[in-house]
Amino acid sequence: MSGRHTGAVVIDPSPPVAAHEPRFRRALGGAAVPLLAAAGLAAFWLFPNDLGLMTRIAATALYVLSLDLVLGFGGIATLGHAAMFGTGAYAAGIAAVHLVSDPLVLLAVGGLAGGLVALVTGALILHARGLTLLMLTIAVVQIVQEVVNKARDLTGGSDGLSGIEPSPLFGLFRFDMFGRTSYLFALAVLLVGFLVARRIVRSPFGLACRGVKEDPLRVAALGGSPRRYLVTLYAVAGVFAGVAGALTAVTSGIVGLDSVSFSWSAEALVMLVLGGAGRLVGAVIGTVAFMTIHHVMAAIDPFHWMLFIGLFLMGTVLFLPGGIASLADRLIKGNRA
Amino acid sequence: MTALLDVQGLSKNFDGLQVSADITLALHPGERCALIGPNGAGKTTFVNLVTGVLAPSSGTIRLAGQDVTRLSAQARVRLGLIRSFQVARLFRSMTVREHLELAVLERERKTFRLFASVRRTPGLADEVAGLLDGMGLVPVADTAVGALAYGQQRLLEIALALALKPKLLILDEPAAGVPHSESHRILDALDRLPADLAVLMIEHDMDLVFRFAKRIVVLAQGRLLCSGTAQEITTDPRVREVYLGSRANAPH
Amino acid sequence: METLFGIVVDGVAYGMILFIISVGLSVTLGLMRVVNLAHGAFAMVAGYVASYAAQGLGLPYAVGLVAAILFTVLATLPLEKLLYRRIYGSANELAQVLLTIGLTFVIVAGINYLFGPTLKRIPLPDALLGTVAIGPKSIPVHRAFVIAMGAATVLGLWWLLERTDFGIKLRAAVDDPNMAAALGIRTERLYTATFALGTGLAALGGVLGAELLPLEPYYAIRYIVLFLAVVAVGGAGNILGSAAAALALGIVDTAGKYLIPSFGEFFFYAALILILFRWPHGFFQGRAA
Repeated sequence: MSGRHTGAVVIDPSPPVAAHEPRFRRALGGAAVPLLAAAGLAAFWLFPNDLGLMTRIAATALYVLSLDLVLGFGGIATLGHAAMFGTGAYAAGIAAVHLVSDPLVLLAVGGLAGGLVALVTGALILHARGLTLLMLTIAVVQIVQEVVNKARDLTGGSDGLSGIEPSPLFGLFRFDMFGRTSYLFALAVLLVGFLVARRIVRSPFGLACRGVKEDPLRVAALGGSPRRYLVTLYAVAGVFAGVAGALTAVTSGIVGLDSVSFSWSAEALVMLVLGGAGRLVGAVIGTVAFMTIHHVMAAIDPFHWMLFIGLFLMGTVLFLPGGIASLADRLIKGNRA
Repeated sequence: MTALLDVQGLSKNFDGLQVSADITLALHPGERCALIGPNGAGKTTFVNLVTGVLAPSSGTIRLAGQDVTRLSAQARVRLGLIRSFQVARLFRSMTVREHLELAVLERERKTFRLFASVRRTPGLADEVAGLLDGMGLVPVADTAVGALAYGQQRLLEIALALALKPKLLILDEPAAGVPHSESHRILDALDRLPADLAVLMIEHDMDLVFRFAKRIVVLAQGRLLCSGTAQEITTDPRVREVYLGSRANAPH
Repeated sequence: METLFGIVVDGVAYGMILFIISVGLSVTLGLMRVVNLAHGAFAMVAGYVASYAAQGLGLPYAVGLVAAILFTVLATLPLEKLLYRRIYGSANELAQVLLTIGLTFVIVAGINYLFGPTLKRIPLPDALLGTVAIGPKSIPVHRAFVIAMGAATVLGLWWLLERTDFGIKLRAAVDDPNMAAALGIRTERLYTATFALGTGLAALGGVLGAELLPLEPYYAIRYIVLFLAVVAVGGAGNILGSAAAALALGIVDTAGKYLIPSFGEFFFYAALILILFRWPHGFFQGRAA
């Protein structure tokens, strides 16, 4: 099919096929966590007035990382990932208002809720593929949003849920009004999440998922069960997204209906593709780039922002299918040639 | 000795069209058997029936005495009934080594280990190294399959099947698409297959069939036509008829 | 009884709008295998053009409708050549989704720049105001007009696909693109024509439906989910499937709003999940196969 259309754009949510995995990339992978930590701490000293934004960026990066697990390593295209993020956020928020206040427990609650929603909906919808699956993921996020909207007594409905006041972290560090604790907490959770995600990607399970992404029937011929891999991956990613949602709730103190929306799902996809799907660093880079530009441009006019991101998306698809993270590869290849 | 594969009266109808009719066939451990037949003889259907891709209309399939007729394709793979694919079906962006790692991990059912490291799985590296060595794939171990020569992809197909420790190996045209000058490499690889493994090969290349198989089974129009050694097959007038048409039997 | 009648009339009218817009999406998806998330943006553009024609230029409703369709089709044809042609084919849903979301954002920003964020109306001519009596009941003329236009669209498409040369080629290309190309059907021109058809239908629905799907810059994003849902349930490229799905979803949604006012959307998506769970390729595709 594509052969007849010259210049067809094909986005493969995986790193480009390299004959040998470049040594520098493996080295880069090893250095990713120290680099992220250093950059995060440097930002802490450099931009003390933007800690609120940076906290949101760190939590969102974890959310996009979770989408990367699903799309980049499992090949599941979804426009409903916010279902898990939002469920995690609301679960943690409701728990904080009524039950517990320990921030770590709240993260666990969010992760559990996100994982459960993903497990149940994943088992229901992952038999589908392509457009049908896209539609089902949209339907799931819309239903979850509708349920949250209607459960006004618990969630605050369209007014949002507020009054989330976590107790001091480890009983020691209060969430101060400058957001210093919040930011460092979010950064630490992101780094731990990154390490765990990398561990999963390099595990036997991660290998099997990559196989399913490329050719599910071939995996079945090796004796594996593609659907079970996908549902498990979806559930695991749901835990990540749920933790990310809970992290947002804990650090910002409020949860809104937009955290379980179609557009928040689509934005995650945009951030991931911007950074480069199929590699974990890409998720973080994409989030930082997207949200920083958003912050700057939306302050002027939200529609300028839409124009910019729209053009940027089209440009990425047409000219840079590997995302920002692939720029380094290109530069290095260019120098070698 | 009980047969490893015991197929009894296997038939398959598609909308009233009989594509496999009453096929009975037994394979013993260590046998090297080839299945041949003209296009449309029902070879692919037979393979799909035995491997569990299709369900038979009637008949039974036993593997090492166990009735597997109703088992899923995956369950049969786990019992050691392994096939290779006619058109290489591999994971393009994964390396040769990763393919074999995945196959071994699948066989050992370790693929739901989420937090273990592939590289540090005990015994895995050694076993994969052995498989790579056996098929002469060591130089390309860390090459992505998309960048591999076609002949090497075919060797990887065989290595992948072996990684699953088959009892019965079905090779679907292992040399298809490989230039004739290179098919000896495939044959070399086949010669080194474990001695106790039963192999059923579907192949058009008669050189390969005659050199590899001790027994040849001929399928025509969904039926088992005859079975025997290379010599018996080549001199059987019925075989000449299905391949060359009835005129071939006319006196010269 | 009165409520039931109201539900049916409003539901059918709403369903017809969903149908007219969605069937354009369905046709392009069926032939070119492209998930065009900017389809709603095209409908919105037409609505704004019609609104401007009526309120800015004082043109009659019918003239505005035709002008809006022509403008939208002509304005999107270069996009087909420059952008869409690169992403045809089912190999790459992700690129399709991203490119067309990007295009949608650009159109939303452009519309806001030109017309501002406030709601725009397309004033109805006197002929479409008031009610019309059907037997003992009376229904709003506009609803009747919308329903009639929907029915006309079904008939028109049926005639186009079953009775014309274009339709024969199109169906051949949907069934087997390679064979169609081998038979000398010029697929590129066919694709362009089909794209224009799809956009034209979006434009028609955008103008006719402005009363039910109000015009504002976020229209493009807000309603695309509905259109996609209709296509998913109806089956890509299936006209009668789209019509039935749109009517069913229109009625379910309207009934939900009437009977349990706060649960309208919930019913809509619950129905969607049930149907797609049972028939993954769309209810009608799944049954036909």
